Amino acid sequence: MTAVICTKSLSRWYGNVLGLNDVSLDIEPGITGLLGPNGAGKSTFMKLVSGQMKPSSGRTSVFGERVWNNPPIFRRLGFCPEQDAFHEGVTGWEFVKGLLELQGFSSREAADRAVRALEFVEMISDKDRRIRSYSRGMRQRVKIAQSLAHDPDLLILDEPLNGLDPLGKRKIIRLIKDFPKAGRTVLVSSHVLPEIEAMTSRIVLIHQGRILAEGDIHYIRDLIEAHPHVISVECSDPRRLAGILVREEDIARLQFGADGRTVVFETHARDKVFSRLPRLFVENGIAVESITSPDDNLQSVFDYLVGK
Amino acid sequence: MATVRDKGYHHWDGRLEELRFPWWPVTRNGIRLSFQRKYFKFLVAFSYLPAFFFLAGIYISERLEDFRFMVRGSETFLAIDPKYFNTYFTADFVLFMLIMILVFAGAGLIADDMKHNALQLYFSRPLRKRDYLFGKAAVVFFFVLALTFVPGMILLFMKLVFSGSFALLVQYPWLPLSIVACSVLYAVVFASYTLLLSALSRNRRYVTILIFAVYLFSDILFGIFYGTFRNPHFGLLSLKANLQQAGAAIFGQSTPFAFPWLLSLLVLAGLCIVAVAVLSRRVREVEIVR
Repeated sequence: MTAVICTKSLSRWYGNVLGLNDVSLDIEPGITGLLGPNGAGKSTFMKLVSGQMKPSSGRTSVFGERVWNNPPIFRRLGFCPEQDAFHEGVTGWEFVKGLLELQGFSSREAADRAVRALEFVEMISDKDRRIRSYSRGMRQRVKIAQSLAHDPDLLILDEPLNGLDPLGKRKIIRLIKDFPKAGRTVLVSSHVLPEIEAMTSRIVLIHQGRILAEGDIHYIRDLIEAHPHVISVECSDPRRLAGILVREEDIARLQFGADGRTVVFETHARDKVFSRLPRLFVENGIAVESITSPDDNLQSVFDYLVGK
Repeated sequence: MATVRDKGYHHWDGRLEELRFPWWPVTRNGIRLSFQRKYFKFLVAFSYLPAFFFLAGIYISERLEDFRFMVRGSETFLAIDPKYFNTYFTADFVLFMLIMILVFAGAGLIADDMKHNALQLYFSRPLRKRDYLFGKAAVVFFFVLALTFVPGMILLFMKLVFSGSFALLVQYPWLPLSIVACSVLYAVVFASYTLLLSALSRNRRYVTILIFAVYLFSDILFGIFYGTFRNPHFGLLSLKANLQQAGAAIFGQSTPFAFPWLLSLLVLAGLCIVAVAVLSRRVREVEIVR
C-alpha cells in the first residue's frame, strides 16, 4: 500500500529544545493513532505533517508532494488543532462557512457544506449560537466539523477527545471511525491508550521526540505486558487479602501501602488478574473500597519501554 | 411514517473552484466583522461629514450669486482647484476620523487571530502568508479609500456636473491622478501602520491604545521639539505632519512645513518597510502551545 504521509529524518528544534528527533515514518490509508505522553512531540509531528511548521531538518511529504509552503495540498487535507482556535463572536455555522470559503468554495456551496458538516458532528441545532456560548464538547465538535467540511482525503486530528465527557468521546470516536471508509486517511493523536485503542489497532508510540514503537496495538500491548503492572486495592482486611494473593499465580511482588489499608501488588498478566479479582473478593468476603492501577497511564508505559 | 434521515457523510466528487483572489474571504470577513461592532456604522457615517461640507462648498461656488450673503469673504476658500482637494485630503478632522475607523476596524485584524490561535486554521487552508496579510491590509484599504478616494472622486465629478463644463480638468488634467495617488499613499501607510501595531500584541485593547497613542504622541512630540528648537525638521517625527506634507506635494501645493516633502515620503516608506519586517516575523508558522 502506498504511504500517504512519508517523513524522512524529520527533526524540529525550538531554540535549544528538541521537539522532534530524526523521525522516519510512513503512514498508510486508514486510521493511525499517534500515542505519547504530554510533551512527547505529538503536536510537533502533527504540525509538521500538516504543513503548519517548517522542519529544522528532514523531509515530509503528503500524497507524494512536499507539504511545507505548498498551499494547494491543503485542499486534500483537514486539520483539527489541539487548542481552541475560534473567534468567539461568530456562530458555529459562520465559523465553518468562513473557513470553507478560504478553501475555494463559493458562498452558497460553503453554506451548504457547513450545514452538512455540522449535521455530521451533531451540532446542527446549535449552529446559530455564538461560539462563546458553546461547551467544551461542542467546541471540539465544531473544530472537527471545520476539518472535514471540505471532504479531505487526509484528516489530521490533534487530541480530538481532550476534555470530552464519555458520551461526547463515544460520538467523536464513531465519527472518526466512519471517516476513512472511502480509502481516506486519519491521523489522530492522544495521550490515552484506551482512546486510541477504541479508534484503531494501528498505532505509533512517540516519546521525547522519538518514535519508540510502531505497528499493531497487540504488539504494543505485548511490549507493555512484558513489564509488571501495579495494582492497588484498598479494603477492610488487607492482611487477609495479602495472604490470599500470595497463593495466586501471576502475582510478582506484593507490599502494604503506607496507610495500612492498601495492598499493592505487581503482575505481568494485568487482564487475567483483573478478571479473577472480583471472584476472590466475593469468595473470601473481603469488602473492597477501591481498586486503582497507579501506573495505568501512558507515562508509565513509556517509562517501562524506555527502561526507567 | 416518519422520514428516515441519512446522517452519514457523503463523499463529494465535484471539482474545487480555484480561488483567483484567495485573500478575498479574509477581507470580506474583516469588513463584515467591523460593521458588526457597536456604533461603527454611525462612526463611518459621521466620517463623511467633511465630505458633505466640501460638496456643499462646490455647489455654493457655482451659485455664488445666490449665496453672496453667506459667503462674503470666503470666496478664496470656494475657489475649486487642487488646493481645495488638498484641503479635504489633509484636513486634521479627516485624518483623525481615519484613525478612529482604524481603531474599530483595524486594531483586532491580526491581534484577534493571534489571541484565538486562528493563524493555524488560516494556514491549514490553501492560503499563503502574503494572501493572509494582503487580505488583512485590504480591510484597511477598503475603509481608507472609502473616506479618501470615493469622496475625492465624487467631489470632482460633482464639480463637473454643477459647473457644466470640463474647465477644471482642462486646467488641471493631473487632478484625478493626484486624488488616486494621495488615496493610495494613505491606504498603504495606514494599512502598514495598523497591521504593524496589530501584530505587536494579542490584546486588541492594547493595539487600540497604541494606534491612538502613536498617532497623537508623534504629533505632540513634534510640537514640543518644534516649540523648543524652532526646527521644522522635527515634523518628520509626526505621522500626521508627514502625511500632510506628502499630500500637499501630491496635489502640487506649497507644503505646510519647511522641509523637503521627499523626506516625509522617505519616513513613510520607512514605516512601511518596518511594518513588512515585523509582520513577516510575527505572522509565521504556528508554534506549539503547551
